Amino acid sequence: MRALYTAATGMAAQELNVQVISNNIANMTTTGYKRQRAEFQDMLYEHVSRVGTQTSSQGNILPAGIEIGSGVKSVATPRIMTQGTLSQTGKDYDIAIRGEGFFNITMPDGTTSYTRDGSFELDAQGRLVTASGNLVQPGITIPQNATSVVINTQGQVSVTLPGSTATSTVGQITLTRFINKAGLQGIGDNLYLETPASGSPQAGTPSSDGFGDLQQGNLEQANVEAVTEISSLIAAQRAYEMNAKVISAADQMLSTTSSLMR
Amino acid sequence: MHNALMVGLSRQVALERELDVVANNIANINTTGFKSDGALFEEFIGKTARSDNVRPIDRKVSFVSDRATWIDMSAGAMQRTGNPTDIAIDGKGFMAVQTANGERYTRSGAFQIDSQGQLVTADGNPVLGDAGPIVFQPTDRNIAISPDGTISVQEGANANTEALRGKLRLVSVDNPGALQKEGANLFSAPAGVTVTPNTTSRFVQGAIEKSNVNSVLEMTRMIDVTRSYTNVATMLQQQADLQKSAIEKLADVPN
Repeated sequence: MRALYTAATGMAAQELNVQVISNNIANMTTTGYKRQRAEFQDMLYEHVSRVGTQTSSQGNILPAGIEIGSGVKSVATPRIMTQGTLSQTGKDYDIAIRGEGFFNITMPDGTTSYTRDGSFELDAQGRLVTASGNLVQPGITIPQNATSVVINTQGQVSVTLPGSTATSTVGQITLTRFINKAGLQGIGDNLYLETPASGSPQAGTPSSDGFGDLQQGNLEQANVEAVTEISSLIAAQRAYEMNAKVISAADQMLSTTSSLMR
Repeated sequence: MHNALMVGLSRQVALERELDVVANNIANINTTGFKSDGALFEEFIGKTARSDNVRPIDRKVSFVSDRATWIDMSAGAMQRTGNPTDIAIDGKGFMAVQTANGERYTRSGAFQIDSQGQLVTADGNPVLGDAGPIVFQPTDRNIAISPDGTISVQEGANANTEALRGKLRLVSVDNPGALQKEGANLFSAPAGVTVTPNTTSRFVQGAIEKSNVNSVLEMTRMIDVTRSYTNVATMLQQQADLQKSAIEKLADVPN
């Protein structure tokens, strides 16, 4: 009975849906997290009798055929790369991007990854690093004796040194953008990698060429909306239950059939 | 006598198929832009009974045959997503998609931008505008889609430079019921179905159209199917019992 397998694809799809939703909810307060969404498509149809076929030599055609679908498939879990709200932290090395772009992060193996999470720290050498200790690209070193650090909206990092009233620029934060942000591959730790789908990275400075500007002392919150996620969770769970009911209905029909034989 | 068994069997086969349709609807209850299927049955008049002892009206035997499935083209609920490349249609139109097998139509507007900057469906088929696929430039931002499908962006270094990236194609189908489901949320137009530009529907950016499957209705249909199936099975059993007792009684040789 085909209904059994059709309903099974529905259950598998809703299970994936719940997985994606639970990951969104788990990351509700993760800085720079972008929510994902499970995308579904209907599977192939069996055209038992094809619509539009001729039913007589007079040219009458079948107004509606018989199409039996075979269930649902999950096709993608794209990230919704909308802007998260900024929340003020007042910390010098917390930087939020307002608009397009990603920070460049050097991974331990030398490759570059990208992030929207600007909760940076300084390491023992005074270099700007992520919360997990990876270097921000291009490298920015804050002098040990700097009394104040200012990062402006264009990404220029300037410091004030003791005994001086003027500020001196110690570096420039650059951003990278992709034509298909949703095509980036998430690798955890709020980091993304370039993929063939994302297109090649285009570097630029903040507040120019369509890049967003930087906001020192702010962090970008996750763009997860609790209400949306909870209502999707309810819908997914109910859909799962209904698919399970179809399986028991199909099972009941099969057992009716088998009990015919005595 | 055997006719009753055969009539019952025809009903059971039809019911099984209806459950397949229900199962597919329920499996796609969360599929963007999915349109539910219904099943139609018709009476299939079999041979007339040969015996002259029955009334003329009872000489016919009606079997059940599944004649068609039909697509319920009513609109699904619109869900706001806030994603700029999510597009729903308010009205009866369809969006056109370029696939390897030719032009296809869809109501599922959960689109993405691919590495070449083209607006594509979730499985990578380009979405068609009035002048072919819609292509974005790498520096484009703030994509805005107007109700008539005009896509405008802000481009380049200057934040105020508006540029057009084409106009989404919106088509109407003269007989949507004749569209053929292809899977992947796509419909194809078989011969005899004319596709014309649509001017009455409008696009809604930042929303997707949910599946139009009515869960209560499908559950009721499912209960109806299983109950009818059981009823027919009981009828078949009673027929079998009747035959069995007839054979036993008739074969009973009096001592």
